[in-house]
Amino acid sequence: MTEGMKSEITGKEIWTVEEGEKRSIGVIHIVLTALLIGIGFVVGAFGSISFPLGFGVNFFWTGIVVQQVGAIWFGAWGVIAGAIFPFFSNAIAGTPFYVSIAYLPANALQAFLPAWVFRKFKLDPRLKSGKDYLYLFLAMIVSSILGAMWSVLVVLRGFDLLTTDSVPLFIWGWFGGNVVAGVVFNFIMLKVLSPVVIKTTAFVKKWWA
Amino acid sequence: MNKTLLGYVPDESPIYAVHPFVKLFFLLIVSLFPMFVTAPDWNIGLMVVIIIFMWISRVNMSTLKIYIPVAISMGTIIFLSYTVMGGTHPEFELLARVAGVNFYWERIRDALVVYFRVLPMIFTMVFFLSTSRERDVIVAMRSIKVPFVVTYVFAMSLRSAGMVLEDFHIVRQAEQARGFDPAGKSLPYKIRQYVMYMIPLFALSLRRSEEFTNALVARGYAFTGEISKVKRADYILTHYSYKYFDYIFIAIIGLAFVALLVFRYGFGYFQVDQSWLIGLLREAVS
Repeated sequence: MTEGMKSEITGKEIWTVEEGEKRSIGVIHIVLTALLIGIGFVVGAFGSISFPLGFGVNFFWTGIVVQQVGAIWFGAWGVIAGAIFPFFSNAIAGTPFYVSIAYLPANALQAFLPAWVFRKFKLDPRLKSGKDYLYLFLAMIVSSILGAMWSVLVVLRGFDLLTTDSVPLFIWGWFGGNVVAGVVFNFIMLKVLSPVVIKTTAFVKKWWA
Repeated sequence: MNKTLLGYVPDESPIYAVHPFVKLFFLLIVSLFPMFVTAPDWNIGLMVVIIIFMWISRVNMSTLKIYIPVAISMGTIIFLSYTVMGGTHPEFELLARVAGVNFYWERIRDALVVYFRVLPMIFTMVFFLSTSRERDVIVAMRSIKVPFVVTYVFAMSLRSAGMVLEDFHIVRQAEQARGFDPAGKSLPYKIRQYVMYMIPLFALSLRRSEEFTNALVARGYAFTGEISKVKRADYILTHYSYKYFDYIFIAIIGLAFVALLVFRYGFGYFQVDQSWLIGLLREAVS
């Protein structure tokens, strides 16, 4: 009976802290942040080396899955990891140090937005309804647009690395590289692993715990 | 041999006589140099200096081969960005028109300038990665009093990246043993295969996070609360001390940066119109 009830838990219940339920920041959250940075480092570097457009912009950036799915599951810890790991993966793939640092706000935003949407609208990370899919897709689109705008218009133009005429190519490259990889991986990862993750102590209902 | 973040460096390498903070300082400051230098000659000079440092440090240069495609693809993209996608500019000097694409002198010059500004930044990063071990980065961070939790997360991230790579190989071998073979397959097939890597990789990491946490808790680690406020002994720092030449290196790097700014903004040096290389190219194409 208990198992039956647990399996019927709704999206709203997933994000609600029950009466008497104590949630606090623990060592596991610090560990998870480090592990997410580690996974993102490897997975992101794969995308950066395999499908480069230049200056850390890729046609197919697999790191997006760690960035967005990690933040949906682990809140601010996932956002922190999602903002930091591209710095490492870009560095290994040959992006200049200060260009990588300047990408930080874009990466933080790309991680934050889907996590915020899931918490704000009480969506089910197991993707049980069309609304969950739609909102995730929209969050991916909007976050990638904003990320692309910052990275190309502020960072790459700011460092004087691009001409005005080549800006659209890089905006499309960043946006498309993130959205395509996100569509391929985010839905599958959430669908397959969320039922397990939401039952772990590491799962973050609010932002920090 | 010592395993660095990017390859291997012999134990006897002179780079290990230098305090790890000096390497970090070099990365942070020298990476800024090309931002203030537009003349490619100086940026090429900086690259040569970094290559000499690598050679002195006995870095295995074959590990740097992975950056050749990066350098070529970046160069190609910059060139295409400035020429094919450079638009129509009647105010520029037209050198050639090929298949409807205008090749302007100013655009080619700017592409070269940008390329030779990016390359030394990459060289600086590669020098740091190929001469620094995980421990060096931690020591450098601790020596500038970066909080323990930040250093710990950083160290654990570097370690976990190695573990993820190891897991990746295990998962790949397991899938190959079940008949998965990417050789000669299409891109969609490879992407589908990649999904099959990602799920176990994530699942393994989640399980590992619990193992890590249990190990840390069992050793009395805490990052919040009263226990976290206890001052920790920095055992690793006791193995490293600043020597007189570390201070000299730090002073040289700092003064070089100040001198660069003074010459750049005080005397107008390092400009593209003063470049010998660009002048040579200008004569060649006119």
